Amino acid sequence: MAAPRGPRSARGEAAAGFVAALGKAARALALYDPSNSLVRQFLVEYRSRASSALLGGPLALDVQPFELTVAGEAIYREEDRERSIAFRLFRDGVRRITVEPDVPWGELVGLLEPLAVHLAGIEGGERDLATDLADARFTRIDVQAVAGFAPEEDDPEPTAPRGPGAEPSRLPADFDTPFPLLPAPGPIAWRPLPPEAIAGLAALDGPQAVAGDALRIAAALLAEAERGAVSPPEVARFLGELRDFVLADGALGPLAALAELVARQPAGPLRDGVLRALGDRRVLAAALAELPPGVGELTAEAARVVPLAPAAAALDLLADEGDPARRRLLLSIAAGRLPGDAAEVVARLPALAAGDARVLFRAVGAHAPAHAASACAALLEHPDLALRLEGVQALAGAEGELPVARLLPLLAAPEEELRIAVADLLARRGDDTAFPALAAAVEAPAPPSRLEAAALGRALAQVHPARAAELFGRWLERRRGLLLGRSSSRRDELRRWAAVAGLGAHPAADAGARIEEVAASADGELRRHCAATLARRRQEGFHG
Amino acid sequence: MDDLAEAQARLGRALARARAGAERGLGERVREAGERFLQGFVGLLRLSRVHAADNRAFEAPAAELAAVLSSLIAGAGPVRMVAVEEQVYVNDLRVRPAARSGHALAGELKPHNTGGLTFHAPLDAASLRRLVAALAAPPAPVRPRSSLAARLAGERLGSVELVGIHRYGPGEGAGGAVALEPTAVLEELLALADAGWGDLAAGRVIDPAALRRGVSRLLEVGVGAPALWARPAGGQGHAAHAVEVTVIALLVGGSAGLSPGALQDLGAAALIHDAGYLLASAAGGGGGLARHALDGARLAMRQRGFSAAKVRRLRAILEHHRDHADPAGRPSALGAILRIAEDYTNLIRLYGAKVTRAEALGAMARAGGTLYDPVLVQALVNGLGLHPPGSLVEIDDGRTGRVVGPARSPDLWDRPLVRILEPSTGRPTDDTVDLAVRGRIWRNLPG
Repeated sequence: MAAPRGPRSARGEAAAGFVAALGKAARALALYDPSNSLVRQFLVEYRSRASSALLGGPLALDVQPFELTVAGEAIYREEDRERSIAFRLFRDGVRRITVEPDVPWGELVGLLEPLAVHLAGIEGGERDLATDLADARFTRIDVQAVAGFAPEEDDPEPTAPRGPGAEPSRLPADFDTPFPLLPAPGPIAWRPLPPEAIAGLAALDGPQAVAGDALRIAAALLAEAERGAVSPPEVARFLGELRDFVLADGALGPLAALAELVARQPAGPLRDGVLRALGDRRVLAAALAELPPGVGELTAEAARVVPLAPAAAALDLLADEGDPARRRLLLSIAAGRLPGDAAEVVARLPALAAGDARVLFRAVGAHAPAHAASACAALLEHPDLALRLEGVQALAGAEGELPVARLLPLLAAPEEELRIAVADLLARRGDDTAFPALAAAVEAPAPPSRLEAAALGRALAQVHPARAAELFGRWLERRRGLLLGRSSSRRDELRRWAAVAGLGAHPAADAGARIEEVAASADGELRRHCAATLARRRQEGFHG
Repeated sequence: MDDLAEAQARLGRALARARAGAERGLGERVREAGERFLQGFVGLLRLSRVHAADNRAFEAPAAELAAVLSSLIAGAGPVRMVAVEEQVYVNDLRVRPAARSGHALAGELKPHNTGGLTFHAPLDAASLRRLVAALAAPPAPVRPRSSLAARLAGERLGSVELVGIHRYGPGEGAGGAVALEPTAVLEELLALADAGWGDLAAGRVIDPAALRRGVSRLLEVGVGAPALWARPAGGQGHAAHAVEVTVIALLVGGSAGLSPGALQDLGAAALIHDAGYLLASAAGGGGGLARHALDGARLAMRQRGFSAAKVRRLRAILEHHRDHADPAGRPSALGAILRIAEDYTNLIRLYGAKVTRAEALGAMARAGGTLYDPVLVQALVNGLGLHPPGSLVEIDDGRTGRVVGPARSPDLWDRPLVRILEPSTGRPTDDTVDLAVRGRIWRNLPG
């Protein structure tokens, strides 16, 4: 605001403070969430400034095009039409606003409300400020407005012809016929209208009435859509707008009524599409907003709309929810969407907190078994080791193809326990595509432990026996050569270790003989490894 | 929850409701495209100073500008660009003019006594070049804006409307407030009904704010003004019908105590209530009466966003032929008022030569509770009077005349003003008899 300069009377100063606080509060509402603490501060200031300004009696603000004045004294000036409170009021025909000293806080908020909406730059509103202020039905604020206002033209000329759109379009000659049959005329007299009937008509201004009206329109449109008279996209668009409106009001009842109305329609793409569109995170947020802290039980009204919300909405809210009771509620809502929303739940598993992911992982296994394998695979990407191990273990028993490509990066995971579990899993269910990664893991810059090398060796033998035999041969050949000279390196030792373990699991009939051959020329530990491997091989039913 | 938190919640709901009524991001898009349009338009105007109109230098920028205008109109409807000194507003949103574009636009338009342009339809590149050439041409010495408008119409640029140079006067009394004349308001309403109908016929959305302003002016004049009850002389047939229905609907709505906002909703709905005939007649095959209410609502649904006003309007249009005792449910209050207003208008239009207006009203009153809401039909009776406006009456001195307005008050409900007719021609004279002062009606006549 560009406040006029120069000395002002005490009354003018107080009035300027009031208008400035009004403007700041209105603008803050455009910038911040209304529940923000800053908005609260601005409201405190607005109330305080209003009290000060009204100490001297009623405050009459005269509205000029870019100025507000009190008893002829300018207390506000802003020439930017978009920012100016004065301009908005003047343009919409408001000429004077008089606030009485005993104005209740609710009416001061009522004065701020339309200003906030109009200054927020929300496009599409069709009511002007004068109408909004008139409809507020203030008792202690008087708003004087002119309806016939039009900006002055410097040099008027006759009205220019309007553009296209004024093409003559006629009503059909028989419009609005046949006329309904009326009874014979009866006598008429002036009679007062019953006050209760008048009150009933006035009630049509409330938000509930609007929602009710909209539901009636929705019912009519759905019926017409079923007859083919209205296209499904037209209906869907209107219902989407209606959903946004009732959600903006936090009104769950009308939303539930709308959902029930749609659900009664014959099955088909329109019904299913609209029902899907009716639910989003705002539905759940509105349902949760009704719950006191620590309560995880939905109200009866909320329970009618929560089935509309998809699992994704529950999981979105879960990310920011700190209340344990609500967290449990959100998890149960997400789990309740299985198996329908299984793909969405599975996709979210890696990003969920470990405990939440475990709950939903198990829920998927129980209620959406077809998605169990992908859930296991999703767990592999979770940062929690225990969950990743659980995922690997579950994959061993899961139906369907093993997600080998998602497992291979885990061969380079920092945790040996996990690497070994993955190698074991690949040994049991892997395919030849895993062979290069397994071999590379043996050759990794940071050499594996003997335990891990053995697991890798076994996996190599299982996923590609032919290539494994050749590789093991190379690893063992090299050792033979080295035996001629000095002692072998740690890496060579681990290769041999892996090769021996691999031969132990190799399907070739001569694998046992090959191990015995290695044992014959090996030193103490390798020899013992050969013996243990042979024993295991026999135990596992290999011959030879 | 303390009163501040309650206030925050209330304000939050109000903003959320308003946002639900708005098309998301529309303002941002208008501002962004508006800036590009302004820059391009001023660029073309500058080019016209150094190049002949047929120079190829215009081709690329004109084509680009045509594309920007087309996208603006597709997203926001008619585009109104107004220059106010260095500031430029596109559909009331201030755009940031680059390199003194605002001054440049104002400077180019001012010699034509023009402050802005409204583009009602997209223009192709060639049309934009003709527009720029017209603006670059020397202004006419007298009435330059009218001359420019005539030139544009001749150049097939009638979709471009020229806006005068406006300023906001110092307020009440000194300027700005238009002295409202009932006949001028009536003409404005006819034009609005015509324009609304035309917009819908052309596939555009209506401008409900303009309709509301017109209705607001009508309410300011007061629906009791006798001039409002003369049959409208101008406008298309549909517009005259719409305005007649609007005036009667507002009379009933006012009697029924509707708020100013609800009355505006009612009036705006009344002005376009029969627009569904546009679709019904386009589809052919008859059945207009059955279909037009639904089709009218579908047309009104094209307006973007969701607001209480839109919903009231939609339901009123959808249900304006529904009976009070319809087994499927009663119409909304606004729909019920429209029904009564329209049926009264139609009854006079179709049977006025055979029955008196008082008889028409008496028949409708007896249908209260079945076809009509009994309270609202009584509001109609109270509002129109024992001798409704337009009634042909014979007064006790033997002269005939027409009742010139609705009931002035409960006390004068049966004693209207009567404009005496010339016996030989039936034309109205300047002689008006106030039956509140003298005389009485001997009998009502059809016609």
